[in-house]
Amino acid sequence: MLCPKVPVNMTVPSAAGILHPAQALKSTSALPATIPEDPSGSLSQDGFDVYASYQRILENEDIATPLAAILALTELIEHSTAGTMFELVKELHDAAEVLKNRTTNSISLNAGTELFIAFVTLFPHESDSFADLKTELVKQGQKYAAEALTYRSKISELALDFIKDDSVILTHSYSRVVMQTLLRAHKQKRISVYVTEARPRGLGVKTYEALTAAGIPCTMVLDSAVAYVMDMVDFILVGSEAVVESGGLINAVGSNQIAIISKAFKKPFYALAESYKFHRLFPLSQYDLPTHTDDILSFPRHAQRLSPVLAARPSVAPSTSSNPVLPRQLAIRRSESSASSSQRAMTPEQILRNPKVDYTMPDLISLVFSDVGILTPEGVSQYLVGMFAG
Amino acid sequence: MGILPEIQNVANQRIVEVLVSKLRRRQLVGSRQTAIETVLVLRQVVAKARFSNIEQLIQIIKAVGRRLVQAQPKGVYPSPVYSFPVHSIGLLNASAFVSLPYPEHTVGNTVRKVLHHVREEYHAVSRAGPSTQTQKSSFLISKFVSQGQPRKQTLAAPKSEARTTSLRENDPDDPDSFAKGLKPVLMEAIQDVLDELETVYDNVSKSARDHIHSDEIVLTIGHSKTVESFLKAAAHYRNYTVIVAESAPSFGGHEMARSLSSAGISTFLVPDSSIYALMSRVNKCILGAHAILANGGMFAITGSLLAVSAAQAHSTPVVVCAGQFKLTPLWNLYHEYGALDFADPSSVLGFEEGSLVDKVDVVNPYFDYVGPELINVYITNDGDHPPSSVYRLIKESYDDEDHEL
Repeated sequence: MLCPKVPVNMTVPSAAGILHPAQALKSTSALPATIPEDPSGSLSQDGFDVYASYQRILENEDIATPLAAILALTELIEHSTAGTMFELVKELHDAAEVLKNRTTNSISLNAGTELFIAFVTLFPHESDSFADLKTELVKQGQKYAAEALTYRSKISELALDFIKDDSVILTHSYSRVVMQTLLRAHKQKRISVYVTEARPRGLGVKTYEALTAAGIPCTMVLDSAVAYVMDMVDFILVGSEAVVESGGLINAVGSNQIAIISKAFKKPFYALAESYKFHRLFPLSQYDLPTHTDDILSFPRHAQRLSPVLAARPSVAPSTSSNPVLPRQLAIRRSESSASSSQRAMTPEQILRNPKVDYTMPDLISLVFSDVGILTPEGVSQYLVGMFAG
Repeated sequence: MGILPEIQNVANQRIVEVLVSKLRRRQLVGSRQTAIETVLVLRQVVAKARFSNIEQLIQIIKAVGRRLVQAQPKGVYPSPVYSFPVHSIGLLNASAFVSLPYPEHTVGNTVRKVLHHVREEYHAVSRAGPSTQTQKSSFLISKFVSQGQPRKQTLAAPKSEARTTSLRENDPDDPDSFAKGLKPVLMEAIQDVLDELETVYDNVSKSARDHIHSDEIVLTIGHSKTVESFLKAAAHYRNYTVIVAESAPSFGGHEMARSLSSAGISTFLVPDSSIYALMSRVNKCILGAHAILANGGMFAITGSLLAVSAAQAHSTPVVVCAGQFKLTPLWNLYHEYGALDFADPSSVLGFEEGSLVDKVDVVNPYFDYVGPELINVYITNDGDHPPSSVYRLIKESYDDEDHEL
């Protein structure tokens, strides 16, 4: 699309020939001949560690990952010695790549970096010199981040009308924008909230504690009891990691389940998402997500997994791929239960084989509340197309 | 927010007051009629208005719009806290009930449409002349998100090339120059809105011939003038049958059946209870709408949800005919009670049944809410659209800042 991705550790051919005519000031087209040793690959040409900067920004609880990415890229521009637009954009792409490689769940981070890079490249800028342009970009990035912190309250105002007095709300895991909306609604109306535990991270507990501290009647619900409780619920409110081009939602695992159940019970399912979470992905199924790997929810392959007890039984054939898996898994469970019969829980390795986020299809979502307005799922794509297409 | 006294005075002008009292007394019947009267009032207001920059004009129009919307006879519904039986609208103690802010949408829609045209004209003119605004218009990231790449902004046709006069806003020497320069353009724009409203029925009926085929059986309910003109237009080219449900207790269907049969269309008048039974014979359902909401759903006369649910069970297509002035950027916030307005309960349970009257709660809702998933297509004066693209129509017809007047 824009600039070809070049790995950071390769020397870039000198950009002297493509100097922008109006840049007599910044003539650092000659890049340093030696690049400092950088095993993690996150240092840019001048030793700016974008990942460290990103992590530092994330320490602020209020800043979401896409915003932190935008701010980290803004800092990169500040420290950049690029002399042309081409170099600058290349640096931005490289930094985005670095951030992506060092984060396990990079979907919302990608949303932020793509938005910022599109803004830098596709938006017409008028500046007298390249240095001015860089300063302006840095300023815009910081301004946007400051403004973006008001988006959550904007969204909570929009959602307020849809929360009626005496509503029973179901929410999933922990989301800052949902918290703000619930606290806002609590000031004027009576609400009660069910929150799912959201294993394995258990962030639902955080929501429960925060809501109870604010005086909102709240009950935790097992992830498996969502269908049980759905009839008592008026509507569902969830936050989001990203809202994708199809109008679907990427959120902590369990959201898709809740959405399917809510559709079966004909309850409205509302997603709250700030506009920097709009992402230009179009997954066709769960397994299309960038976070899906072959490991996730795969069956164990090796014969060594069979416990000695099972291997001794002649009725069970040696492990071939055509055998039903059940006896094997039964063996594992038996061996584990004999080892730790007091506590029945998944082992950390088993938990690792489970997904962390899932994709909810747009036909299950009633409305998406965003700072750009209340959108139907079909309406999300028009913003993405406006920003990225053509 | 502080409203300037001159704007307040404008809002209290006589013409506005006349329309307000007409609305309050329900003397205006029919959405299109209401819309036309609103446009005429706004045209007068803009013609007489004094303003030296665009913001003032917009505030004036918004103030008038607010006044008109508030004048609507408010629909009332029992709030969940209190449970007083609704005997008759006349005996209601209004304070015991929660009143809904928007029962008649077309007034608000028309005001928004006029505001949209005003802004469009203003931008077209101010771009053609020497611009007084700073060229370094902000390249904010948030603007980038909400408006996309800026080349999309230049879609206003450069019809104002002939205009060489520059518009100076807030000119201290000649405060009226801005208004004088802009008014002719605004009058044209408002005339466009009026023309569109007056030709609604003709434009909706243009495609009637393609939607109805010979020997088809069509179901409709109540008396919608848009549907009536649609069916009559199709009758010129096709021979078909219409089943009209009488839609008790207002019995609008009777009027519709009479009018259609006098146009030579073979018509059957049936009670509402037989809608489901007859649906297997019906080829399509053609309904009218009171208001089309931002999510693609609609408010329609009570009985519509019944017809549409029956149609869904039989996989019968549901077609809704409505003018674009019925598009409203609002949402259905009244989930259980699709009803915005209630009609007289005595037509359901009359006062002759004296012994029952105080033991029974009688609710006579006037409207139903029909969700977007139950409707197949909206036929409007501007073409046919599925419910999923209603959001785009709304974005094109109205400006975001006008959703709340």
